[in-house]
Amino acid sequence: MANLTTRFFGLELKSPVIVGSSGLTSSVEKIKTYEENGAGAVVLKSIFEEEIYFEYEAETNKQDLGYHNLEYLDYFDYEIKNDKIKQALELIQKSKQAGVSIPIVASINCHSGSEWVFFAKKLEEAGADAIELNFFVLPSDAELEAAKIKDYYFKIIGKVLMDVTIPVTIKLSPYFSDLARMVKELSETRMAGITLFNRFFNIDIDLDKKELVAANVLSHPFEYLQALRWIGIMSGRVDCGLAASTGIHDHNTALKMFMAGANAVQVVSGIYKHGAGFIKELVKGIETWMDKNGYQNMDELTGQANLQKVKNPSWYERVQFMKHFGEFDGE
Amino acid sequence: MTTLAEYLKERRDQEWRAELRKKLKGKERTNIPRVKMPEVDPNERVKFQNVEVNLGLSIEQAQREASRCMDCVNPTCIEGCPVQINIPEFVKNIERGEYGQAASNLKLTSALPAVCGRVCPQEKQCEEQCFYTLKLKKEPVAIGYLERFAADWERESGSVSVPECATKNGIKVAAIGSGPSSLSFAGDMIKLGYDVTVFEALHEIGGVLKYGIPEFRLPNATVDEELENLKQMGVKFETNFIVGRTASFDDLEKEGYKGFFVGSGAGLPRFMNIPGENYNGILSSNEYLTRVNLMGAADDKFDTPVLRGKNVAVIGGGNTAMDSVRTAKRLGAERSIIVYRRSRVEMPARVEEVKHAEEEGIEFMNLANPVEYFADENGRVNRMRVQYMELGEPDASGRRRPVPIEGSEKDIDVDLVIVAVGVSPNPLIPACLPDLKVSRWGTIEVGDNMQSSIPVIFAGGDIVRGGATVILAMGDGRNAAQSMHEYLSK
Repeated sequence: MANLTTRFFGLELKSPVIVGSSGLTSSVEKIKTYEENGAGAVVLKSIFEEEIYFEYEAETNKQDLGYHNLEYLDYFDYEIKNDKIKQALELIQKSKQAGVSIPIVASINCHSGSEWVFFAKKLEEAGADAIELNFFVLPSDAELEAAKIKDYYFKIIGKVLMDVTIPVTIKLSPYFSDLARMVKELSETRMAGITLFNRFFNIDIDLDKKELVAANVLSHPFEYLQALRWIGIMSGRVDCGLAASTGIHDHNTALKMFMAGANAVQVVSGIYKHGAGFIKELVKGIETWMDKNGYQNMDELTGQANLQKVKNPSWYERVQFMKHFGEFDGE
Repeated sequence: MTTLAEYLKERRDQEWRAELRKKLKGKERTNIPRVKMPEVDPNERVKFQNVEVNLGLSIEQAQREASRCMDCVNPTCIEGCPVQINIPEFVKNIERGEYGQAASNLKLTSALPAVCGRVCPQEKQCEEQCFYTLKLKKEPVAIGYLERFAADWERESGSVSVPECATKNGIKVAAIGSGPSSLSFAGDMIKLGYDVTVFEALHEIGGVLKYGIPEFRLPNATVDEELENLKQMGVKFETNFIVGRTASFDDLEKEGYKGFFVGSGAGLPRFMNIPGENYNGILSSNEYLTRVNLMGAADDKFDTPVLRGKNVAVIGGGNTAMDSVRTAKRLGAERSIIVYRRSRVEMPARVEEVKHAEEEGIEFMNLANPVEYFADENGRVNRMRVQYMELGEPDASGRRRPVPIEGSEKDIDVDLVIVAVGVSPNPLIPACLPDLKVSRWGTIEVGDNMQSSIPVIFAGGDIVRGGATVILAMGDGRNAAQSMHEYLSK
C-alpha cells in the first residue's frame, strides 16, 4: 500500500488531506473524527480581527447604557480578543488531551500589523503546531499602488516570522499582478508552506429582493483548475511546500494537484457536503490509485506533471483559446 | 395610584415652593453664575492620600446656587437620575434654608446621598438634563454639589434623620456584597419592613466605595456615616462572610432567608494580555487601590506593602485610572502618566476628576496604547512600548475608535504600571449556583425586574452590568427591592 506521508506546514503529515480552516474544526469531537477518517492535519477557524470589532459593537449596543458602562466597555475589545485566544487554547489543549496526534494549525486574519503579530504569538503560546496566515488585502482602494500592497504583505509576514518560532504558512489569493514572483519571494522567507488559493466570500444580487446576498458558500468541483495551473507553474521553483485548496471534491482532483506539485490538499466543501467520511473516501481513492499506478509514496507522485516536467509546458502558460476553441463547435 | 408626574406636581404646588418661586424673577435666577467648588490647593493636597480635594459649599454658596434652580414645571433633571431623586424639592429646601429637610428628601430614594454628591457623574446625568443645559445652553445648576451640601450639613448638624420604616413583617432577606447596589437594596427593603442582613466578604463594609475610591475623593468616614444611617434603620451587617463558602445559599435558606440580592460586584481585574505584562511592577488598579484604600498601604502605621515608582504609567481613561494615577502621585511618583488610546474627549472619567488630575500635575499621553513591556535583570518593568493611535469612525459607544498607526511605536521609561482597563464580575456566586444563568462574560442574567433564573435570587450592579456607575448600581438595588417585595408578597 502506498505511503501517504507528506510534509506541509513544516511538519510531517501522515496524510496529504488537510481539513481547511472553517467551522468544521470547532470542536474536539470533530477534530478527533477527522483524524480517525485519515486527515493529516486540521486548520482551525480563523480568528478575524474584524469579527472582534463587530462583537465589540454588538456588546456595546446590547448594553445601551451610554455613559454608565463606558468604563466597563472602554477596553472590551481586549476582553473579546482574549476570549478568542482562550477558546483556541482550550480547543487545542483539549484535543491533544483527547489523543489527537495530527497537527492542529491556527489561522488568523487581521487588518492591523500589530494584531497579526499579537495573535500569532498568542496562538503559538496556546499550543498550535503551526500558524496559517489567512492574508488578503482586497485592492479596492483606487489610490493604493500594487507595490505598497506587496510591501505591506512582506512587512507583516516579516514581523510574524521574527516573533514566532513555530512554522508559519500563508493561504494566498490569486490576485497579484506578479503572482509567480510573489509566491517565489514568499517561499524565500522562512515561510513553511504556501496554500493556493484562498477561496473568498462572494456576493451576488437577489433580483427579487433587489439586495446583496452571499453567493455560493461552498465550492464547486470545477473551481480547482486555477489552483491546479498555479501549483503546476510554481512546483519545483519554490523553497517551501505547496498545498492546493478550492474545488477538491474527489480523489481524482487531489491526485491531479499532487501531480501538479502540491504536497497536500486542503478540503472543506466536500466535508460539509458529505461529512467526515469524505476524508476517508478521499484517502482511500488516493491510495488505490497510487497502488494501481505503481507509486510507492508521495515523493514519487508530487510534481510529476509540473511545468518543469511535462512534455508540453507551454500549456501551463496558455491563456487564450486560439485554435483549440476555433475548432470547438459546442458538440 | 399616583404617577410620578402627579406626585411631583403635588409637591411643586406646595405653598412654600410657590412662594419661593416668586421671590426672584427668572432672569435674576439665570443671571447668577454657577458656583465654583472650593478645593484644597493642588500643591498641598498631593501630599496627602486622605485629604479630600473638594471642600464643599458654604451655606451662602449653597443657597445662592440653589436659587439658580428654576423649579421647572417639567423637571427634566429627575429623568437623568437613576434613583429619581426629587431634585427640585431638595434644591428648593436648600434655597429656603431647610437643609435638614433637603437631606430627608434625598434619603427618600437614595441610601447614599453624601457618596453620590461626591462620586456621581452629574454632568452626564441630572445636570445634563437640567433646564440650563438643555434650553439656555448655560452651565447647569450644580446639583451634585448641592446634594453633597445637604447630606454633609445634616451629618455635621448632629441631627441625622432616620427614614421611616414600615412595621416589621418578619421576613428575612439577604444582600450579598456591601457595595452601592446592595446598600441601596438594603435601604429600600428595611423601609418596607423586611429583616435585612448584608453579607460582606471583606472586613470592611462598603465594597467598591471603600476599596476602590480613594479618600481624597470619597473619605471613608463619609461612607461610614451613611452606613450608620442604615444601621439605625435596622439593617444588619455581617463582615468576613463569604456567601458560597462561609455558608451556602441552602444554609441561609435553612436559616429562614426568603430572598437574596446578589450585589457581589466586579472584583476581577482585567489585563490586556500583551507581552511582558507579567513582569514585576505591573499590577491591576484593583490591587493597587485596594492596598492603599482598604489596607492603609499609604499609612506608615500599616504593614501593607505597595509598590512605589518614580515613573508611573496608568493605562486607561476612566475614573479608576484617574484614582490610580493621582494615588501614585501622592505616593511620591515624580512622573505620573495617563496612557489612553483615545483622545481626551472620549475619556470615560468624570470631567472633575480629569480637571483635578491636571491640576495635580498628571501627564496625559492620549492616543497612545501599550503594546509591550520590558524589564531589567531582576524582572522589574523598566520600559514600556507604546503605539500611537489615530481616531477612526465612531463606534457603537458614539466615540471615535482608536486605530493604530503602524510603525509609530515609541519606548517610555517606567518603573510602575497600573492597568486600569476595566474589571470583570466576581465569579464566586455564579460558580456555586449551577442553575444560575450567566452570560459569556460571567455577568448574572436578570430580567427587567432584576430577577435571575433562580426566582429567589435577584441581582444588580456590577455583577449584572459588568461595571457601572455607583448611582446606576443603586438604581438596580432599588429596582430589585421593589421586585423582590412584589415577589415575596404574592
